[in-house]
Amino acid sequence: MRSFAYVRATTVDHAVAEVTADPDATYLAGGTTQVDLMKDEVFRPGRLVDITRLPLRDVTSDNGTLVVGALTTMEELAAHEVVAGRLPLVRQALLLGASPQLRHMATLGGNLLQRTRCRYFRDPGVACNKREPGAGCSAVDGFNRMHAVLGTSPACIATHASDVAVALLAVGASVRVRGQDGERVVPLTEFYRVPGSTPHVENVLAHGELITHLEIPLLPPGARSGYLKVRDRASYEFALASVAAALVIDDGRIRAAHLALGGVGTVPWHVPRAEELLRDAAPDAEVFSAAAEAALSGAVAQSGNGFKIELGRRAVVRMLSTLAEES
Amino acid sequence: MAHPDIGEGIDRVDARVKVSGRAAYPTDHDCPGLAHAVLVQSTVGAGRITAVDSSAAKAAPGVLAVITHENAPELHEARDRKATLPPPPLQSDRIVHHGQTVAVVVAETFEQATEGALLVRTEYAPATPVVDIDDPQAEHVHDPFGSDDGTGDVAAALAAAPVRIEQTYRTAVNTNHPMGPFATVASWDGDELTVHDCTQGPSRTRADLAATLKAPQDTIRVLAPYLGGGFGSGLRTWPHTVLAAVAARHVGRPVKLVLTRKQMFTSVGHRPDTVQRIGLGATRDGRITAIDHEARQTLSMCDVNTEMVSRVSLSGYASPHLSARDVQVRVNVPSPGSMRAPGDGQGNFALECALDELAHDLGMDPLELRLRNYAGEHPVTGQQWSSNDLRECYRVGAEKFGWSRRVPEPRSMRRGRTLVGYGMAGTSFFFYQPPCSARITIGRDGHAVVGSAGMDLGTGTYTVMAQLAAELLALPLRRVRMVMGDSSLPQAPSAGGSGLTGSMGSAIHAASRNLIRSFLDLVRDDSGSPLHGAGEGDVRVQDGRIVRKDGGGGESYEAVLTRHRREELTAEGSAEAPAEDRPVVPTGPYAAKFAEVHVDPDLGVIRVARLVTAAHCGRILNEKTARSQLIGGTVGGIGMALLEETVTEPRTGRIANGTLGDYLVAVNADIPDLDVHFVGGPDPTNPNGTKGCGELGIPGTPAAIANAVFHATGTRVRRLPLTIEDLL
Repeated sequence: MRSFAYVRATTVDHAVAEVTADPDATYLAGGTTQVDLMKDEVFRPGRLVDITRLPLRDVTSDNGTLVVGALTTMEELAAHEVVAGRLPLVRQALLLGASPQLRHMATLGGNLLQRTRCRYFRDPGVACNKREPGAGCSAVDGFNRMHAVLGTSPACIATHASDVAVALLAVGASVRVRGQDGERVVPLTEFYRVPGSTPHVENVLAHGELITHLEIPLLPPGARSGYLKVRDRASYEFALASVAAALVIDDGRIRAAHLALGGVGTVPWHVPRAEELLRDAAPDAEVFSAAAEAALSGAVAQSGNGFKIELGRRAVVRMLSTLAEES
Repeated sequence: MAHPDIGEGIDRVDARVKVSGRAAYPTDHDCPGLAHAVLVQSTVGAGRITAVDSSAAKAAPGVLAVITHENAPELHEARDRKATLPPPPLQSDRIVHHGQTVAVVVAETFEQATEGALLVRTEYAPATPVVDIDDPQAEHVHDPFGSDDGTGDVAAALAAAPVRIEQTYRTAVNTNHPMGPFATVASWDGDELTVHDCTQGPSRTRADLAATLKAPQDTIRVLAPYLGGGFGSGLRTWPHTVLAAVAARHVGRPVKLVLTRKQMFTSVGHRPDTVQRIGLGATRDGRITAIDHEARQTLSMCDVNTEMVSRVSLSGYASPHLSARDVQVRVNVPSPGSMRAPGDGQGNFALECALDELAHDLGMDPLELRLRNYAGEHPVTGQQWSSNDLRECYRVGAEKFGWSRRVPEPRSMRRGRTLVGYGMAGTSFFFYQPPCSARITIGRDGHAVVGSAGMDLGTGTYTVMAQLAAELLALPLRRVRMVMGDSSLPQAPSAGGSGLTGSMGSAIHAASRNLIRSFLDLVRDDSGSPLHGAGEGDVRVQDGRIVRKDGGGGESYEAVLTRHRREELTAEGSAEAPAEDRPVVPTGPYAAKFAEVHVDPDLGVIRVARLVTAAHCGRILNEKTARSQLIGGTVGGIGMALLEETVTEPRTGRIANGTLGDYLVAVNADIPDLDVHFVGGPDPTNPNGTKGCGELGIPGTPAAIANAVFHATGTRVRRLPLTIEDLL
């Protein structure tokens, strides 16, 4: 780890001003990814602006929307009664992520911005376009069992590792962002950027912009939702494939459907096409299978991860049929 | 008469110092003037170093020295110690594996040394590494251990067999990951060297250091009273240990060197991968007529590694025709080394899966097939076993597990949507009991101090040896204190090969005999003693006293010492390795393992639901620590079966998953109820009746799980680890 300057922000405006003014500065929240990356020489920020004392830890329910301060920890949000009652998929995604120790440190804002687990990104000794634009991608012809099959490009196949981002994306959550020029609200569907030829650009935030809140629309009463995570190890492990889904089934028809995938995409993977197929259909094996096909449509296999395409499809079918079977 | 403290599940005698943080692990040692060393490791997998620029590193704040192959002292490559002493580091520009140490940076603080290490610029002329066990260019070493053996005519017997299984099985590279990163603190006082080291054998590390530094052994002291786990990685004297001593001499100060977790992947050994061909021949009624086992394993370029994989097939079953052969394939990977149950772990997987395949082809219960082919004597030599209660292991294990509930047809048992599979495997483990010495002192306070250089790598050696000494001297446990893990104590073998309990226990047995004899010598002409004139055979120990068997009375150790104005009496004892060429062959432990797995039929997710082990480990000195040994080994076996694989990139030789975030070891959620039962009696080879149980948890576990997965799914996976994609 290299030496760096440390600033403790006193207000949101102070934090934003500190980072915006210094291209070498970045925010420090839970630090569960960032400090690792600094130790590994992947991140070499000149200045860390500590935002952990800012008043961004409230969770309030407002007119069908849960407004979550970005410094709320994963454990705090998972324990929130509204999340438990009205957003089971979010709660499950939170509790299936990381470990209890990490969940008590990691913040929601940081979770959305977590960096990929790709070993090539995390090893400064090898080429990585995300870490060093133009350097090349070592994963494409390397060990890529954990890598993405959706949203990839020749420049990058790194998987976005968040669980909760997948659930939040499925239910249509947004982030409230503060920059020097004021505040804006960005839906998660427009927040992440697939790598294309610029894998180092992962989202739409400008330098210095700070996520202050998440806005999570509550599912309607009677909605069934869940998060299915498939992984090698039973706990404390990233997804090979995961599915966040919510269905409103009424009178033998799917009235509303939400679906997103994790572990398979370079970004949390929302599949509006599958949601369309499900909407107004009878909840049966045929439509679940069609939704699964649509969900993995366009998937590209690498040398070691082709199984994720079929696994992803099966996970979608399992998640949807499990929800449909719930009484 | 059994001692009250023997056999029972008593708590560890070192538990209190450990949980209260008072046990000093090697990384805990600090001393005035301590400097810190950090390794720089190669970023190519083969080739030569063309230039090292350490100027920036040397100029960095706090950096005291940068040692590379250009300025390192000459280190001796001791041919007679190659098994435990890998090729010495920094002796040439040659790179033989990715992650090879190319420099060591010494600085005032760890952080400064880390920063200095980042500033060392190394340029390479890289060559293409050979890393694949199947690479046709790789050099093959045949019969590397001189252990290839057999009996009869296997080829003819296989050709003539009515039923044949011929299959290839693969096991992955696994890396030892003790919780405590390996570390060394080295300090010189003139020509005297003191080393606190993560080693499983202080005596051996001392001998290795003496050899490579060309120093007399009595100028070196190696200490390892506590270790944060080893799993075999502490059985060799690795380059970082040697370099800590070199660095300390170079800067004229004590030096601490702690490996990073990533460096652990390339610096302290690993279990080599294997490709094993098994041929089984059998009659239709399930009599095995031939076992042919050829095992290939990888080996690093300039090193040796003793890892007998195929030998499990020489002693496992009563087949008239047997052949077992090992081959090592040289590749550009880090030095391998023992990892819990080396050789047997991989070999058992292939043999016991092949047995399961044979049972399936025969339409026979896998347990019945094993019972039918039980080896009542050594199949190759015809020697009698010193003890073998494997059939009792099968019986008790099957009963505790409920094996009779197994429906033979694969994919026929379900719980809801989940596929349920039952699988089993048997295993033996080799006998190993190298020479050892121990010393016992009894003082006028009636307390005994028992010393031996052997160390406790966390398994409970302190505890069981204290129990044993208490029994042999008839003292309460609280009056026995163990002193271990110090090369200045009587010589002991490494804690490895499941051998230390047998070795050190035998030495303590001998020392206690000698000590009692010394007491009798002291009172020989002492008419005030009821023991005067008694010989060793005339007495026994009881309640802290030596007493005459004839009822003529006795007296306590302290009474003798007080009357003779002696502060203490000391005796040493040594035990040799038992001869193996007698009509009765010293025999290691046995176990039968029964696994239930649950498999998601759609998603391929495998979870072990329960695992029952019945083990014959001779006399059990402490049920609690012995059970912990079996449970811990089984956890490792589950990891080997389903999770652990060190992946080396073919192009670069770089380990692709070299962190604990990417190399998966089992976590609590992966481990079900592990049921362990001890069966059978003491083994007569050892004066204390023990057999080793340290490694028995590993062999048999992967095979039982793989066989259960076949039973659950109907899919035979012949490669470890078994993962989701194998079942999609």
